[in-house]
Amino acid sequence: MGRVLFAVPPLTGHVNPAVGIAGELAARGQEVALVGHASVVGPLVPPSVPLIALPGEISADQRAELEARSRPLRGPASLKFLWDEFLLPLGASMARDVGAVVERWRPDVIVADQQAVGAAMVARRRGIRWATLATTSAELDDPYAVLAGVGNWVSERLRDFQVANGVPAEEAARGDLRFSEDLTVVCSVPSLLRTASHPSHHVFVGCAAGLRRSAPEFPWEWLDRDRRTVLVSLGTVTREAGGRFLRAAAEALAGMSDRVQAVIVAPPGPLDDLAGQVPDDLLVRPFVPQVDLMAGLDAIVCHAGNNTVCEALSRGVPLVVAPVRDDQPIIGEQVVRAGAGVRVRFGRSTPATLATAIGTVLDEPSHRVAARRLQGEFSAAGGVVAAADHIEKLLP
Amino acid sequence: MTTDQSTMTADPATRADQVLADVTEILRDVIGEEYIVDMSIDMDTSFNADLELESIEFVTFADRLRETYGDHVDFVGFLSEMDVDQVINMKVGEVVQFIVDSLETDTPAAAR
Repeated sequence: MGRVLFAVPPLTGHVNPAVGIAGELAARGQEVALVGHASVVGPLVPPSVPLIALPGEISADQRAELEARSRPLRGPASLKFLWDEFLLPLGASMARDVGAVVERWRPDVIVADQQAVGAAMVARRRGIRWATLATTSAELDDPYAVLAGVGNWVSERLRDFQVANGVPAEEAARGDLRFSEDLTVVCSVPSLLRTASHPSHHVFVGCAAGLRRSAPEFPWEWLDRDRRTVLVSLGTVTREAGGRFLRAAAEALAGMSDRVQAVIVAPPGPLDDLAGQVPDDLLVRPFVPQVDLMAGLDAIVCHAGNNTVCEALSRGVPLVVAPVRDDQPIIGEQVVRAGAGVRVRFGRSTPATLATAIGTVLDEPSHRVAARRLQGEFSAAGGVVAAADHIEKLLP
Repeated sequence: MTTDQSTMTADPATRADQVLADVTEILRDVIGEEYIVDMSIDMDTSFNADLELESIEFVTFADRLRETYGDHVDFVGFLSEMDVDQVINMKVGEVVQFIVDSLETDTPAAAR
């Protein structure tokens, strides 16, 4: 039996894949724990996976302030903000606090989320075997492209971060905290990426949906078998800011009600008037059991978050993607390049442009055909089982 | 004298106007005409804050500039020299000026 410690940042989309893989390892009898910030991570972790809570929580007010400041930012401005204001301060606090946890818990292997760079640094410094968990494939898909200065900036900031935290400069210059040289587990399949060849220690496991705390309730009897079903879901971070987009999508879908029913994941309030007018056509819920719903969907409209995209493609569901920031434009582009969906612009979509995009994905069979082809690849990639297999190989 | 040559020999202000018109048309294509019907692009338009151009769209934009101006205009080289803040703050006018300057020197990038 080995001891595997998963280090996660306080971001839902990063925690769920770690929980899925940790759950698989626990079911095999390995000793696992998650280390992270309990306010965000706690509600996502089922009782069978112990959570070691870190100090250094940011308050709800600080978090709201960060989200408000990041909301208008796009592209490289958003990337700079993410690293400077969130990931590197998080890294510094995790470097300190995960170090203390490691001394007590004595892991054989640390699985560090790609954005939990503080935990990766602890593992490297202490000579503990570690793997990277890339819950999005963007960093492996030439994300900076012609903007070399942006990519160099990230690399430099990561070197400075290590030096500022006591790592000798020559050691900091070797390797990259975003990529373990032993094992990088990627939640995706290779054919989605532009990059054709990958080192053998980069393993693509497909969709890491697995163990979850509990699925929200859903009125399954509401679904009308004679119409097609479209889900609109913007993910946990974006949806609060997505009111305008969600409304445009709701209006577009209400106009297609002769053949389409729509489930819209949205906070209570802003869409209640629309849903109230056509209760048989639009269902607005604050949370849905997305993974369970996926099998019955004909299309999904989403922000191109990697988990949602992988969950959709592993069920052969074509997508309309409306990327907002961070890795989403890269993941959205992967969907379009694979032929499994169309892209719309989050900030400038109207009911008319969305109706066209949704109609295209529903009516042109090529999108479903491409999504089904990817479904086969996702199935072969092995998900949490394959991820656990690779992590077990690092155990003594 | 062909139209092309007369453009090249026109005074700098006229040439900049022509390049701005070219660049605007390319950007409308890259972003998608249906999304910028109500938006004007001028020298002061920001790639990041106004156009929300993503790294992947810069690739398409660079390809289209190469198709339009050939290797005289090494936009990829121009971008590769920029640091993160220069990328964030880049305006359409800077790219127009770079293209005008490149066309004036009239030397293929490979030969410089």
